[in-house]
Amino acid sequence: MSSALLPPFPEPGFSFENVERNVSLVKKGFKPPKFTSTGTTVAAAIFDGGIIIGTDKRASAGTIVANKNTNKIHKISNNIAFGGAGTAADCDQMEKMVRAHVELHRLNSGKQVPVCVALTKITQHLFRYQGHIQCALIVGGVDKFGYHLHHVYPHGSSSEVLFEAMGSGSLAAISHLELNYKQNMNLDEAKLLIRNAILAGVENDLASGNGIDLCIITPSGMEHLVDYEIPVAFV
Amino acid sequence: MSIESYNGGAVMAMAGKECLAVVCDKRLGARLTTIGMNHSKIYEINPYLYVCLPGLATDALTVYQRLRFRVNMYELKESRKISPQVLCSMLSNLLYEHRFGNYFIGGVVAGLDPATGKTYLYAMDCLGAITIGTEGFVTGGHCEEQLYGTCEALYRPDLGPEELLEVASQAFLSACDRDAGSGWGAFVYIVTKNKVELKSLKARMD
Amino acid sequence: MTSERYSFSLTTFSPSGKLVQIEYALAAVASGANSTAIKASNGVVLATEKKQKSILNEEHSIFKIEAITEHIGMVYSGMGPDYRLLVRKARKIAQKYQSMYDEPIPTSQLVQRVAYIMQEYTQSGGVRPFGVSLLIAGWDKNKPSLFQCDPSGAYFAWKATALGKNHVNGKSFLEKRYSEDLELEDAIHTAILTLKEGFEGQMTADNIEIGVCDKKGFRRLTPSEVRDYLASI
Repeated sequence: MSSALLPPFPEPGFSFENVERNVSLVKKGFKPPKFTSTGTTVAAAIFDGGIIIGTDKRASAGTIVANKNTNKIHKISNNIAFGGAGTAADCDQMEKMVRAHVELHRLNSGKQVPVCVALTKITQHLFRYQGHIQCALIVGGVDKFGYHLHHVYPHGSSSEVLFEAMGSGSLAAISHLELNYKQNMNLDEAKLLIRNAILAGVENDLASGNGIDLCIITPSGMEHLVDYEIPVAFV
Repeated sequence: MSIESYNGGAVMAMAGKECLAVVCDKRLGARLTTIGMNHSKIYEINPYLYVCLPGLATDALTVYQRLRFRVNMYELKESRKISPQVLCSMLSNLLYEHRFGNYFIGGVVAGLDPATGKTYLYAMDCLGAITIGTEGFVTGGHCEEQLYGTCEALYRPDLGPEELLEVASQAFLSACDRDAGSGWGAFVYIVTKNKVELKSLKARMD
Repeated sequence: MTSERYSFSLTTFSPSGKLVQIEYALAAVASGANSTAIKASNGVVLATEKKQKSILNEEHSIFKIEAITEHIGMVYSGMGPDYRLLVRKARKIAQKYQSMYDEPIPTSQLVQRVAYIMQEYTQSGGVRPFGVSLLIAGWDKNKPSLFQCDPSGAYFAWKATALGKNHVNGKSFLEKRYSEDLELEDAIHTAILTLKEGFEGQMTADNIEIGVCDKKGFRRLTPSEVRDYLASI
């Protein structure tokens, strides 16, 4: 609650009170801290019935596996989700902020929210922070205008794509997608394609692993397949 | 050296069957010098809810005070006790507010629902990225790496309070023995539905 | 502030200790369209009359009953534009709470915070009090709740109540009809009957609105559902 009579608590927005101290600590020779990073392989594609997004399940802090059961598919609303790579806290907070924004938009307009509403909020927020909020996302969704898939880079650039891979395992995943993606795939073909793309990331990238989550968005709703597959050899 | 390991120290929380163990070491260091031998990193929110703040001691105290303020305001405003999930979310948000210019601490939240006996474990990094302790334990601090190993090896599900004390202490002391930055004994809270016991463990003092 | 000269509060005490601006605001509520709410054992019903000023009005494009979250809904008597501002603020409060605590806002908390805003508008410079009273219905953790918020910032918890032009008759009607073990379906009927007290002209699905809140959350009934309820009375 913000008010003239009683100042809001806690103050909204970021606090920069420790910035100078932390910069001087780095200058004195203390190593800057390591944040939990998703260290992700995230892949997504448009198929003939909607959107499919897949991720691995590992979060890493340096070489430590910080979380073996991370959720990297962030649900925004019934028709929009994003797969996130980068700093874990940034992706989590991005989900919270965009979800609140989209829900307000839905309540105030009384209609299903188009994907571009979420996308615009994300890119504007990232651009405002000039790449210091470190998330690389694949935003996907279904609305009255059709099926949409966008990739978003930490500086706030975005473009619409048919298929995409992001994160540290993206090199392996994108090569699989480039080779095997074709338009008008059915759901089973799309599931196999994304599974194999993530698997390529899991096998070739140290920071990806511990299983595969899938999210399928169609005009009739969203299906979140947690632990779609845990490849036995890679647990 | 990272500033997060300036003071050393490690924490761990482990869940059993309707019981909970919250463990921290006693060392407070200044780089390689030990300057305190009775320094707890566990803060009691209420008898069923604990938060551990391993990392830079000065930041831990500041964050605890700010968290306490928010918890008190929440409990007064809503006239109800704070739940583990809400506390976790609150701490995560507090840490993320300092996304630029962060505090050099991790966070572990451990709670037990006295009505159902359900346990809640959460860990987070210095920016507030939450890890839910679905495996039955969460760790943090200077010898996090060793703790992951000992917990993975020794943890078994559905332990009773006595066994849990044994397992948690063994896992914690083994990890600390391989870390120069933590040790000097440990505090263990064993929380059950109707009792909280604080044990003080003795360990190597070198 | 450049506008400081004009930013004194309009709500000032009269020599007798009254805040007449608030009394005028309550008068605006008491001359507004009727609305009523009943808390049943398994849910809450909100109902309001929505008289069209002209037959040329498009009936089902603007609503008086609004959802604030999945589990909270709101209706008013008084001034429509003031209400819509409060709806927007309430939604924002609810989303902020959800982000902060990762938990849906309890209805009592939402009511407190909305009431806080309404109070602020009785004590701040350059503003006037809101010309609405709100009825807020919610469902938290298997329990229905119903509150009223007044322009002064006062709020009350009700089992059943009525607002607007006919609130005195509405309340005495509810006093006779209310019982503790009322179920939601009966409550909807009672709410329609309460509106019928002093309703001028024929009641149709086009000139009343009904919202229900139960364990499935809050929703506004469609005109055809309202028509079915009206037919069964």
